[in-house]
Amino acid sequence: MRRAMLPLIGVFLFLLVWQLAGRSLGAAILAPPSIVAFDYLELLRQGDMLRELALSLRQMAIGYLAACVIGMPLGVVMGRSRVADGVFHPWVAMFVVTSTAAQIPLLILFLGTGLWLRITVAFLSTVFYVVLTTYNGARGIAPNQLAVGRSFGAGRLQIFWKIMIPAIYPYLLTAARIGLVHAIRAMVTAELFVIVGYGGLIHQSGLSIETGPLLGLILTLMIVSLLGDLILRGVGRWVAPWYEQQRLVSS
Amino acid sequence: MTAIAAARRTARRTTMISGLSLALGVCLWQLMASGISDLILPPPTDVLARLMDPAFFARLSRALGQSLVPLALGFAISLGVAVPLGIAIGRSKSLSRMFEPVITAIYAIPPIAFVPFLVVWFGLFFPARVALVVLMTVFDVLQVIIAGARDVRPGLLDVGRSFGASPVARTRLIVLPALSPFLFAGLRVGFARAVNGTITAELFFAAVNLGAIMKRATENFDTAGVLLVVLLVCLLGLLGQAIITLLETRLLHWHVRS
Repeated sequence: MRRAMLPLIGVFLFLLVWQLAGRSLGAAILAPPSIVAFDYLELLRQGDMLRELALSLRQMAIGYLAACVIGMPLGVVMGRSRVADGVFHPWVAMFVVTSTAAQIPLLILFLGTGLWLRITVAFLSTVFYVVLTTYNGARGIAPNQLAVGRSFGAGRLQIFWKIMIPAIYPYLLTAARIGLVHAIRAMVTAELFVIVGYGGLIHQSGLSIETGPLLGLILTLMIVSLLGDLILRGVGRWVAPWYEQQRLVSS
Repeated sequence: MTAIAAARRTARRTTMISGLSLALGVCLWQLMASGISDLILPPPTDVLARLMDPAFFARLSRALGQSLVPLALGFAISLGVAVPLGIAIGRSKSLSRMFEPVITAIYAIPPIAFVPFLVVWFGLFFPARVALVVLMTVFDVLQVIIAGARDVRPGLLDVGRSFGASPVARTRLIVLPALSPFLFAGLRVGFARAVNGTITAELFFAAVNLGAIMKRATENFDTAGVLLVVLLVCLLGLLGQAIITLLETRLLHWHVRS
């Protein structure tokens, strides 16, 4: 009973500190949760927030899905083939440390500030994390599992589908989850840079004298990110309920 | 013995392939660039020439030097917050149950979304940049440290307890050494994030240092200049990670990295 209460106590303490801080600093500096709650209802009623969010998310989703579709097979190939590892690893290592924000001015020169910019930014800042996570999974397949398959006369295709894919599966799921975090970050970064879509909305409400609506917009981003993660985990469990999921920490 | 030699040989071959791949990539870039306007994709030779331009080089190196200050400060603050907090949360079941939902929720927010806030709180200059670096770094390090602190083998702590080690001694002599591989993982992740945060801050607040060079180069359609800054930031990240890995192999030679 007490253990079940602890997370609630944590959230409550957080809200309490926020409320007290907000009260003493004033809504122009930090709106307390009581005011944010009202502003949030207002944001929902106006409809701008959800409309922009839907549009932005659709573009992000294109980049994100492309990153998964390309990144996952590439990660598997790199993890299983030394030559492919040698060829691609330096590039992946290089791109994964290149900050999204630094890529944006360059991409604007290439692509302008339209739809393709946002899709490409989401893709580029997601794909290398997906590759690396999948790569770690593919590399870590226990050699004796493959040996068992071979000694029972499994063909290459059978080994791939029956041994490798199940072994990599938890990593694919982790890759999808890590990727989503990065895709959402990239979406907001690109949109704040060129001031369009949801990021544009954030920029706009940053100019107002009240911080309530701004916090409301940030709150929605948090909900979207948590919800997306929950959905991915749900799908993962639904497809293969027997897997223990990998922890989200990658290095 | 032969197994080690064989492993070394494959490692050397992989490095060779990587080098070839990079060289081939640059050649491909040169070839592609010859068919496209320099405004869109300048050839690598142009980028190199831009680097050799003494005036530009002077500006670039000065900007880089100045960027390192908020980078180092933000990185240090993040470590100072994340490491003790991570150990406390990772070692205490109640604390982790209490605060992990809050941390997960905050981590889910893209830090960049706080930029308008940071402007209100810290203005547009140095303090705001440090704040963004911290915001972008601290949670990533925290997650690694929490995972590491939780990972300490209970058997080791039991040994400490049965030999009468106090909680402080156990933390210093058992938890910290067991944690150190994670600490280095946290350093690597954190440094990459801090570099990322620094250049992001220089672009999103008042454009200064490397960010200013980038902005100006973009406005002048000086793609070679923009590319050079991107490459520089990328190399800075890689260099930092290489140094941290080197330190790790020197200091933690007892720990076999998987």
